[in-house]
Amino acid sequence: MKAFVHHLAYDFKTGIRDRSKLFMFYLFTMVFFALVGGMMASVNPGFKQLMLPAMVLFAFMCSALLNLPTFLVGARETGVFRSYRINGVPAASILSIPVLTIGVHMAVVAVIISVAGVRLYGGVAPQSIGGFILAGLLIYAVYAGIGTLIGVAAGNNTASTLIGQLIYIPSIILGGITVPLSILPSGMQKVALLLPATHCMKVFMAMGMPGSGGMPWISLAVLASSVVITFTLAALLFEWDARASAPSRKAWAALLAIVPFAVSAFVGA
Amino acid sequence: MSEGMVSVQGFRKCYGQTVAVKDISFTVQKGEIFALLGPNGSGKTTTLESLEGIRRPDAGSLRIAGIDPTHQSRRLRNLIGVQLQTSALPAAMTVEEAMLFFCSYHGVPVRNDLIERLGLGQKRGTQYGKLSVGLQRRLALAIAIAHDPAVVFLDEPTAGLDVQSRADLHALARELREKGATVILATHDMAEAEKLADSVAILLRGEIAAMGSPRQITAAGDRRTRISVSTEAGRLLEEKMAFPSAIPQGRTDGYAVYLSDNPGKSVGAILTWLDQEGDPLIDLRVERPSLEERFLEITSDQKQGALQ
Repeated sequence: MKAFVHHLAYDFKTGIRDRSKLFMFYLFTMVFFALVGGMMASVNPGFKQLMLPAMVLFAFMCSALLNLPTFLVGARETGVFRSYRINGVPAASILSIPVLTIGVHMAVVAVIISVAGVRLYGGVAPQSIGGFILAGLLIYAVYAGIGTLIGVAAGNNTASTLIGQLIYIPSIILGGITVPLSILPSGMQKVALLLPATHCMKVFMAMGMPGSGGMPWISLAVLASSVVITFTLAALLFEWDARASAPSRKAWAALLAIVPFAVSAFVGA
Repeated sequence: MSEGMVSVQGFRKCYGQTVAVKDISFTVQKGEIFALLGPNGSGKTTTLESLEGIRRPDAGSLRIAGIDPTHQSRRLRNLIGVQLQTSALPAAMTVEEAMLFFCSYHGVPVRNDLIERLGLGQKRGTQYGKLSVGLQRRLALAIAIAHDPAVVFLDEPTAGLDVQSRADLHALARELREKGATVILATHDMAEAEKLADSVAILLRGEIAAMGSPRQITAAGDRRTRISVSTEAGRLLEEKMAFPSAIPQGRTDGYAVYLSDNPGKSVGAILTWLDQEGDPLIDLRVERPSLEERFLEITSDQKQGALQ
């Protein structure tokens, strides 16, 4: 336990010391929030309802989809995991500690966005702070799970960035972050159900924001299943050593993480 | 004979169709420095990494203090210390943080004494990524021995180190042996193995080509002694003289070189002749074949065997 705490403290400290991490966690998300939040709120007053969940979700995606896998792949490929292995650092610590420390940074970012969004841009405040926080935790867990799985399964950092972008870019366009899902054509709405962001926005809105209707139970179930599946697969597929060639055959098992989203798109909810 | 601190019996490891290590066996006793010697690709690192529990053997039995490294890797971690050939620490981790980090995972107090002992005292706050290769290897070694392991594995420990660092590392390896630790060394540096190791196994293409103490291995080869003589007038080089029991081998760097199976008799005859000729002696070297020469002899025998 003492070792785990030291590891956690070390990882958090380097998150602050490492300029590229600071940039991704704070500067990039804040600049995006400052520009897009302000612009969208003035162009589309309806965005004020979405602003807080959308901007927090955006920050979570940046850190967990784009940063976390890069860290994991880089550490594996440079031999850091080998050093950890021979000195008895458990795989569970390697996988869980970055998730926890990035989670702390994201909690700070979420608070800044929530306060600044309401004060500076007139964003609608959460109806239920507790519901908003719970939804935020679940959504962070969803993206942390996906990010961890990408980091474990991707053969190199080019692949991890590509996979991350493959989820990230469509999420910005179709996931309900910049425009409400309801204004998308019905075909696109079905496609959007393949994206975690779509379900995250539904749950975030229902649990935290006023006037958002009933709980989207299917989306909640999809997200909960995704957390379980991604972390389980990441633990099963975890490898200590750098890969000499393409990802092993078992890395393709990571595609099982799509199943809850595919089922949801199939049933159309 | 006892089972030994490290026991390898019929160990085999394959990568796909390639057999990297072919059914090798050896035993290392407690408090011994054992060197695995061989060229790149001979199977040294594979053997070491299998003993460290990183790789799974395809056949045979591996034991460290009776523990199976493949199936009891948790029990193994505090028993062994490993300096890997290829590994790294996070670039942003400082020397001090690295020591704290790994000591906490081994459940031992922080070993600041080792930071000092290995010349890292001035670099405590320096990040791993900003250390020179030599200092990175020193830090890896400090971490490997921080928990006082019973068996220390060093894979090419002096690669990339300067002369002083090599001497320091050799001194440290001897110190570990004096404290009762068993040191297993993989290297292709013959001089290092000859200087440091109590026993040696020469691996060639995954097989043990020779094993024993460095003296035993060299004695098993060409038994002749090399005599190198340099004189002021260089008469030995001009005359191409033959002496009792000494076979001329030509010249090397201004020295006349002979191989002799009776060096006392040969040296006496050479000195007498030089005295008669009035050619003063500058330097006289009498050398037994080194481990490196024996290694080259074994490699050459293997190549010829393969050609036949």
